[in-house]
Formats: sequence, C-alpha cells, structure tokens
Amino acid sequence: MSEWHSFKIYSTPRLQNPCLIVGWSQDVGGLGPKAIDFLIRKLRPQEFAQLNPAGFFSLAGVPVEGDVLQFPQSKFYSCEEKNLLLFQSSGPGQSHYEFLMLLLDVVEQICKVKEFYTLGGIISLMSHTSPRRVSSVVNQPQLKKPLAEYGVNTNLEYETPIGARPTLSSFLLWVAQKRNIAGANLWTEVPFYLAALEDPRACKQVLSVLDQRLDLGIDFAELDQEIEQQNRQIAALKEQEGDVHRYLTMLERGIMLSEKESETLASKVAEFLQKRG
Amino acid sequence: MSKGIRFYQEPRLDKPDLVAAWPGIGSIGIIALNMLREVLEAEPFAEIEPWRFSYPHSLSIKNGELESLKFPESKFYFKRTGTKDLLLFIGGEQPSEVMKGYEMTNLVLDVALNLGCQRVYTAAAAVAPIHHTLRPRVWAVPNRQELVAEARRYRNTILMGDMEGRGGQGAITGLNGLLLGVAKSRGLPGICLLGEIPIYIAQFPMPYPKASKSILEVLTANLGLTVDLSSLDEQAQEVERNIERFYHLIPEEVRQRIDQLKHVGYTKEEKPGVITEEDKKRILQEVEEFFKKGGKQD
Repeated sequence: MSEWHSFKIYSTPRLQNPCLIVGWSQDVGGLGPKAIDFLIRKLRPQEFAQLNPAGFFSLAGVPVEGDVLQFPQSKFYSCEEKNLLLFQSSGPGQSHYEFLMLLLDVVEQICKVKEFYTLGGIISLMSHTSPRRVSSVVNQPQLKKPLAEYGVNTNLEYETPIGARPTLSSFLLWVAQKRNIAGANLWTEVPFYLAALEDPRACKQVLSVLDQRLDLGIDFAELDQEIEQQNRQIAALKEQEGDVHRYLTMLERGIMLSEKESETLASKVAEFLQKRG
Repeated sequence: MSKGIRFYQEPRLDKPDLVAAWPGIGSIGIIALNMLREVLEAEPFAEIEPWRFSYPHSLSIKNGELESLKFPESKFYFKRTGTKDLLLFIGGEQPSEVMKGYEMTNLVLDVALNLGCQRVYTAAAAVAPIHHTLRPRVWAVPNRQELVAEARRYRNTILMGDMEGRGGQGAITGLNGLLLGVAKSRGLPGICLLGEIPIYIAQFPMPYPKASKSILEVLTANLGLTVDLSSLDEQAQEVERNIERFYHLIPEEVRQRIDQLKHVGYTKEEKPGVITEEDKKRILQEVEEFFKKGGKQD
C-alpha cells in the first residue's frame, strides 16, 4: 500500500461487533446509493471516517454531472443505537485491492465488525408490478440459513460470462474471505426499464431483509409512497401510450420483448418519469 | 524472499538467464515464451500474487457461495537445458498503473537475482512499415553499451541506430521495456528482442506468430539451444491465411500502396528497390495516415 492510500478518522464509534452495510454510488436502479441515503435519513448515523481519494481515483480533473461538480467520496457512518456501520462510496478507478483492504482495515481493526452486506441491483426482464427477488452470495456458509429465513434466494449459480468482469462487491467478498470476515452480497432484481432510473420497490425489498436480519426497526412509509407514486406514473404512461401498454402487458404475461421493443419501453419510461422529476 | 511471490519449489540453478514477456501487440512476446516453455518442458516454480496488480477476470458462484475469483496468472518456470539454465517469466497482464508495473518488474528481478540470474531477455513487438509476406526481423535493444556489438552479430536483427532518421533513439512501451530498465539500474545486463509486425496488422487484436518465431530464432541461437519451431510455422500460416482474406477486402488503391512495402526498406543499408527515396517516404506516410484514420478512405 502506498503513502497515498490512507483514511481519516474523526471519532471512534462505540459499537460491539457491529454489522456493516455497503452501497456503491453507481448501481442498477440506483439501489445502493438510494438504500444507504434512506438509512442515513432514517437512522441518523454519525459520519466517523473516510478513505482519502488519492491513489484510488483519478484526480486529473473533476467531472460535472447535471450541472453539479462531482468528487469521489468514500464515507463511513456509525449508528450506536442499532450497532450498525454504513459505508457509501464511489467505486475506485485503480488500486481496487488496496481500496478494499483499507475499507476492511477501518471496519475490522477500529470497529471489530462481525459481518457485512453489500447492496446491488441486477437487471431483470420482469415487469415493475412483479415482486423483486433478493439473491445472496456468501463467503461463509453459515450466513445462508438466516438469509433464507427472510425469503432470500441462497442457491445462486453463476459463472462470469465472456466479456464481463466480476463486480467490486464480489471482489470485496473475496478479500474479506481471505481475512476471515463473514459477508454476503445481496442482489435485488430491477426491471430493465428502471435500471437507469430508481427502483424504490427493489430498494424496499432488500432493506426489508436487512431490517429483519439486523433488527433495525425501519419505518418504510416514505418508500411505500415512492413506490405508489412510481406505479401511478407508469400506469398513466401505459394509458397514454399504446406501445407501452402492449409491452408492459406482454411482460406481465411472461412474454419476452424483442431488443427493439425493450429499448422503446425503456426510453419511453425514462423520458416520462424524468419529466415528472 | 519478496512478499507477494508464492513459491511451489525453489530450484537450484547455475547462473541462469531470464526470459520474460507480458501480453502486448500481436501477442508476439507471449507466443514466443509459451512456445519456449512448451518445447523445453519448463517446470513452474513460482507465481506473483496477482490481486495487487490486476482486477479479477472471472467469478464462480456455486449454490450461493463464492467458490473462486480468478485473476490473470503471472508465473515463473525453470529449465536446466544442459547448455544453459533458464528462467522463464510469463506475465498474465500488464498492470494499468505505472507504479504497479515498476513494482512488478522489481518482484520479477528479485526472484531472478535470488536464483543467480546473469542476464535478462524480454520479448515484444516492433510495429514496422513492412509487408506481411516478408520475414519479420528482430529489433535488438540492449540495456548496456557493451552489448551493442554482440547484438549486431545476431542474424536477421537490426538496432535502433540502423533505422532511417531515428539516430539510435526510440522508446519501448510497457513492462517488456521497463523490466530491462529496472534490470539496468540493478546491475543486470539485458536485451529486449522485438519482432516486427506490419503497421496495418498491429492495430487489430490478431496474433502474429511469424514475429514470435523470428525472436525465438535469435534467442535460441544465443542460448545455444536447438528447438523445433515447426508448430509456430503452422500457426503463422493459419494467421497469414486470415490476413490474406482481410487483405482482399481493403480497397484496391490502398492495397496497392501497402503492396509497395514489399519493396521498401526503412533501414539505412537497404537498397531503394524499384522506387525512389521520395516515393518511399510518401508511401510510408500514406499508409500510416490511412491506418491512423482507422482504415477509412476520405
């Protein structure tokens, strides 16, 4: 690890073998950032540390998105009341292994973390009216049973297809396994036409699992409202647009769409929902 | 021994030479090294722990459990040939960060020096204005002045100083060059052998085993080895058939320009052939410009 690879700590949280929830800024259906933001709003944790971006992110320039300057952030939060840690970060552009080791250094050496969960969305050819399924991948088998009790699919089979590469969450799971830290990747289905937008229903689904597993006592009213609003908006679009009506009906009946039909549906839903904020 | 190396065994060798390569243009160096490893039946003895240098390339999940995460492999092999003990290093991937590349080359040299290594060779590609029907030459770039005279004696080999307009200067990108630079700073002599690949082939993800063979001819002669390289000829013929198929898809006018590379040399000693010096410059410039534009005509 080079001299650049370092972290800043503002206070040492008083926790007893807490659990950690990890969310990455770029995610399918905005799942990771949305879920962590929601937990920050609901649980009001305290920010206690951050990883310095130098050595992990290109600092040759800073991007501007949606008129706003962006800067990579990798922040740790602690919630003493719930004995919980949160980590929210952009995915590093380089030195991935060192980044993950440093993340684990903070939560293991300073906070004595017991286990962790990463959040992530996976694109599904499903309708938004179908229930979202959460699947897990664990690095220690004893985590499977408790997750199965909350309806999580714990029997996933997967091989990286040619041309793809493993996710940062998978890499973290492997690094943690080498350090004997138990963890699970939680993958939640997101309808393909919501992948570039937000999917509050997927967010609620995975948070419900964590709520039960970690006894967080979350009030989901806010997310329920969002889900209802999104459903209402898509229903309105369905009424207006014959194509959208046909494609959504096909999906609800389990009929596959062609590539062109899928693209049309995704672009019409995106345009409609983005106009309505 | 260095942290970051996993040993399967520690061979006892007598003043071995190291031959190393990482993936690069036309896979020229890697094909040469893999061929050498195969024909010599070299034995693996160590590997670099890859996770600090590479992002994983594949994942396997079985029944909801993380079974494996695989990285590009970078392995060491050895062979006692009877004439010369050899170390081979075959890199799986060039690290994308410069400092990691520097660190990796130092790890390779740590292992080699610890085993008494006397000299380093690297194998790579030289992108050159040549025609694919010609036998590729080898550019030799030593890391010490006293090796220049030796390199001049190699067959089918040229030095940077032999090239028109270069004044003996140039650059070798990637770890195949960096390793020799780091070796120089650590007092280890070495030579980079670069097999020529035509400029119009170099930009495609296509292997070019003909150049690997040219490198191996120089290398094995230097190491006093006699090896059968006929399987490389078969690979080269197969690739050449593919190139010919692609070649006939190129517009006639451009193909005619490229065809002139059969008669045009770019080194000082070569005769101008059937065209003038001025023509030669123009052809090379036109061909280069055509391919800089991604092979599209105006």
